[in-house]
Amino acid sequence: MNSNVWILTFADAISIATTLILATIGAILTERSGVINLGVEGILLMGAVTAFLVGDGTHNLWLALFMSVLVGVAMATVHAILTITLRANQIVAGLALVIFGTGLSQYIGKPVEGKSRPVTIEPMHLGKLSDIPVVGPILFGHDIFTYLTWAGALVCSLYLNRTRPGLVLRATGDAPATVDAQGVSVAMVRFVHTILGGALMGLAGGWFMLARGTAWSQAATTNGIGWIALSLVVFAAWRPLRAIAGAVLFGFTLQVPYTLQGQQINILPPEIVQMLPFVATLFVLVALSTPRARKLLGAPKMLGQPFVRDER
Amino acid sequence: MIIGNFRIELEPRLSSPKWLYLAVPAGSLVFAFIVGGIFLALTGHSPIGTYGSLISHGYTSSKGITNTLGLATPLICTGLAAAFAFRMNLFNIGEEGQMYLGMIGSAWAGIALAGHLPHVLAVPTVLIIGAATGAFWVLLPAILRAKLGTSEIVSTLLLNYVALNLVNYFIYGSRGFFRDPTTSFPQGRGVEETARFHSFGTSNTYPTVIIAVLLAVALYWFMKRSNFGYETSVFADSPNTARYAGMNATKLTLSVLLFSGALAGLAGAMYVVGPAGKVDPGLLQIGLGYAGIVVAALARYNFVAVVLTAILFAGLRVGGASLQISSNPVPIAIAVVLQGSVLLFALGGEIFRRNRLRIRRVQQVSVAS
Repeated sequence: MNSNVWILTFADAISIATTLILATIGAILTERSGVINLGVEGILLMGAVTAFLVGDGTHNLWLALFMSVLVGVAMATVHAILTITLRANQIVAGLALVIFGTGLSQYIGKPVEGKSRPVTIEPMHLGKLSDIPVVGPILFGHDIFTYLTWAGALVCSLYLNRTRPGLVLRATGDAPATVDAQGVSVAMVRFVHTILGGALMGLAGGWFMLARGTAWSQAATTNGIGWIALSLVVFAAWRPLRAIAGAVLFGFTLQVPYTLQGQQINILPPEIVQMLPFVATLFVLVALSTPRARKLLGAPKMLGQPFVRDER
Repeated sequence: MIIGNFRIELEPRLSSPKWLYLAVPAGSLVFAFIVGGIFLALTGHSPIGTYGSLISHGYTSSKGITNTLGLATPLICTGLAAAFAFRMNLFNIGEEGQMYLGMIGSAWAGIALAGHLPHVLAVPTVLIIGAATGAFWVLLPAILRAKLGTSEIVSTLLLNYVALNLVNYFIYGSRGFFRDPTTSFPQGRGVEETARFHSFGTSNTYPTVIIAVLLAVALYWFMKRSNFGYETSVFADSPNTARYAGMNATKLTLSVLLFSGALAGLAGAMYVVGPAGKVDPGLLQIGLGYAGIVVAALARYNFVAVVLTAILFAGLRVGGASLQISSNPVPIAIAVVLQGSVLLFALGGEIFRRNRLRIRRVQQVSVAS
């Protein structure tokens, strides 16, 4: 078999990982504050369809991505109002967002269903770096957002672990009563990070559409990536830098089916290979569920719990 | 919160008045229709005309209501499946995949076993095997949840995608057992005639609707009266209390999740003995499993309310489908937008059921100069 193909597969895996990293970091920021937002899949779909429609109307890449971010912010705001202000069940609210986002993206995307993407995020050519054999295409043939995302993960990690607001954020997820006693508004910390997370998820959807998607199709665009991102949060142990490694690994399982199909390698039927990312994710979840692994992970202690001062 | 001269406060209610149990869902429905109307208007459709057509095709015409009841039948089952797990604070969101497996299992029974059985036995056998395969699909997440505490939310969800590809494999990817061997067109092999119900007259409603409704009533009664129902409610309210009282959490979790999976599997089986009669990839397009979760949440996990909500939602879907065939077709996804919005508003409305909204005038304290 052609070794070039596998180099390209690795390169594609790293590229796809961009959307996973963005969505996962969005979910990490949200969950660190103690809010669980299961609506990732819905936000990704809305981000993707928004980028497509705005791109189709204006042919302006930046405006398209900006609108995806805004849509992500809007949906996360709905989640924040429901779960933080109105103290609704976070799981059900997230699921409602998924259903709403799935329906709405299908509805407003119907007129452009099957149309090919209007604007494209082009990969950069980094001169000599991109020409290095093997390493060049794998590491230096991506678009600007991939590199910005890596930098973003680093910034996010520093923010969480090295800054005062990061400390407050972590404390809000672990011991909201303490944060409250310090005179910091728990609701405000949660609102800000849920919305920031939504912005990243919206961008993840928009980027995926314009960089990886070929045509808009509600059924085939994100295809469960949002749920994989949620599993990645556990895999990354709620730490942004680890999300990069996990995302590349999961990106590989997402890309392999296409490589095998493209190369006409038929060891397994394509439908079975399509199960790979989900089965792999499930395996990882199982492996992380052993009591020992659980101790090492350190999930935010008050994840999913609304904070009510009066009831204490 | 203070706005101007008024202080807005939420006061917890000790008990909610009965009318609010109806007013909150009804209000959510109205608000959802307003949101849907905005999107309809923005995309160049008349909201009033669209809703009028949706209601007449979904509920008020005789063809509409029988179509709706037919679609509601499996939806009642997936709704019951979600509600049953919710009752113990377990979130089975894999009804979609469990339903596919139920379809596969019951189609297998309908092809392989039904020919050897009389009609009175064939249909129940097919239904039971469908339920069993549905339960099988939740077995792994259930064990993980019960033994290791792995979140069942993501694990059940991931298996939906595996099940989806499995159905595609049986119909499109292989020429195996489930594929109709008589044609090159990819479609399922028909089950034996003895394994199928006849619909009522020329309608699309099947006797399975009676089974689904009876099941809801039976579950309602069972969870209210039985020891099992009592234990799950104690466990849902306070896992620690349940443990101190000597209730077996592992066993309860396993049985609740497996039974939930069986109910979702039954939805797939009812699709086979009713309208489909084979493994039909058409089921993958409808999303009855996901809709079941919305139905359960909106019915606030009350089994009898699930029936009514399922009929309401099926009507939206049936009415939505009819909108696609007009001079200015409205995408059927409007039905899903409405479902999602109803749930979002209902979640928000809960706080007004649990709390009383008080608006008081704030006494201005003027500082004497």
